[in-house]
Amino acid sequence: MSVAVAERSAAPPQHALRPVISFHGVSKVYPNGTEALRDVDLAIHQGDFCFLVGPSGAGKSTLVRLLIRDEAPSTGRIFIDGQEVSRMSHRKLPKLRRKFGIVFQDYKLLTRRTVAQNVAFALQVTRPGQRHMREKVEEVLWIVGLEDKLDKFPDELSGGEQQRVAIARALVHRPRIFLADEPTGNLDPDTSWGIVQLLLQINHRGTTVMMATHNREVVDLVRRRVIAIDNGRVVRDEAEGSYLREGTATL
Amino acid sequence: MRQILASLWFALHSAGQNFRRNLGVSLAGVFTMGLIIFLVGGSLLFTHSVDTVLQGQEQNASHLKIYLSDNASLASITNFESRLKHDPRVISVTFETKDQAKQQASQNQSISNALAVLGSNPLPASLNLNVRKLTDLSQFNAEAKATPIVDSTTPTDYNSDVISKLNTVITVIQWVGAIIAVILLTISIVIIMNTIRTAVYSRRTEIEIMKLVGATDWFVRWPFILEGMLGGLLAAIFSGAVVFGAYRLFVQAAQGNLLSVPFDTRYTITLLIVLLVGGVAVGAFGSFLGVRRFLSA
Repeated sequence: MSVAVAERSAAPPQHALRPVISFHGVSKVYPNGTEALRDVDLAIHQGDFCFLVGPSGAGKSTLVRLLIRDEAPSTGRIFIDGQEVSRMSHRKLPKLRRKFGIVFQDYKLLTRRTVAQNVAFALQVTRPGQRHMREKVEEVLWIVGLEDKLDKFPDELSGGEQQRVAIARALVHRPRIFLADEPTGNLDPDTSWGIVQLLLQINHRGTTVMMATHNREVVDLVRRRVIAIDNGRVVRDEAEGSYLREGTATL
Repeated sequence: MRQILASLWFALHSAGQNFRRNLGVSLAGVFTMGLIIFLVGGSLLFTHSVDTVLQGQEQNASHLKIYLSDNASLASITNFESRLKHDPRVISVTFETKDQAKQQASQNQSISNALAVLGSNPLPASLNLNVRKLTDLSQFNAEAKATPIVDSTTPTDYNSDVISKLNTVITVIQWVGAIIAVILLTISIVIIMNTIRTAVYSRRTEIEIMKLVGATDWFVRWPFILEGMLGGLLAAIFSGAVVFGAYRLFVQAAQGNLLSVPFDTRYTITLLIVLLVGGVAVGAFGSFLGVRRFLSA
């Protein structure tokens, strides 16, 4: 059993009190009539590590967008940290988003800024004037293993290194929840494995991690919680699952 | 306090940085804004100059000489004069005797010679009327014609043709000026909005990241608004200088040629201040509109 699970069982009251993320009968229908999510119920606790799996267009990205309130659900309620976000006003969104660290398949780095500047950017725009910014940036770049690439530009880095910069930027403000939407989508298997190891390490430090992925190999190797989505529905939610349903060729 | 200063520094720094990095787009924006500010300023100054000249003409035109018949009695003249004096439309009435008329006319050498040859004084006495409104002149003209003591052959020096034309010109100039200003203002806001939208579009990843990590809308907006203000200020300074120079040349050329157009210093200074404030305001407003679409989600 992994260390993270052991840590979780050491703090059962928090676990029992309230999940850090919860979905109650959430559906999302887009204006064009596409039903992206149907009646989703979910509970994710502080310190969890879970994979969100399913084919393209199953609703994984919609789920991520609902979490950070980039979209509002059509019906149902979503709570983050006990706070209902499904009906949250536009004004409160910045504070909500600071609870998250998010990375995407396409890294979204600023090409004209160095590695250190990309990471510092997240602090500059959310906590301007913060002291010891340089130290915080260096510390988080050390965590992702890029302490020697501070002054490089993104174009001078490999895909895996660029994703590490994105991870460092998402981590620097110490988020409660780390969301990774297809973080290994553009990477070769070895590099992908390195990124997943990093996410596990982040989870080990106590951060809740949710990773949406197609990467069957990774999911099967790590054997953590798997939430499978197909056609907008949660079809499986296992504590130590694999990419496909055990002994079958389906989700 | 530290946070406010840091935010301000970030906004200023990224506004300047963005202005330099997208120098082509920025300069295109400044150029278009400058051109529009130049057109607005130029048309305002031109309308003002024409207005000044026309007002001068109007001042002259609002005088009416009512020629009196030679056999009119002094009592009836005084009576008519006091009736005119009490008319609310009249500013002043002066009586000009035949001798004064002769003296006035004699300032012109050829008339003076003609009068000397003639021996007698054929010029009539007159009541010189100064009215408030140009449009009232025709009524006074009609009134004078109906008065028995007025010379029946040439009752007044009223020239309906010139006066009605002058009136039309003034009205047309004012309307054209107003329409041009409205059209230019609309065009400028649309152009600035689109220029800034292009600038914002080139920074959409940055905005996306800012929103993603939880920057507030105003934090995202400020650099663009400052950039718009900077562009508006530069545009206003350049076009203001050009307008000022062009106005001076225009006044000199006009004075050398046909009309005396006064150089209105107070109006020019006010106009330059208005252009500066207006340029900054339009730049800020255009940026606000331009960045709005990217913040809606």
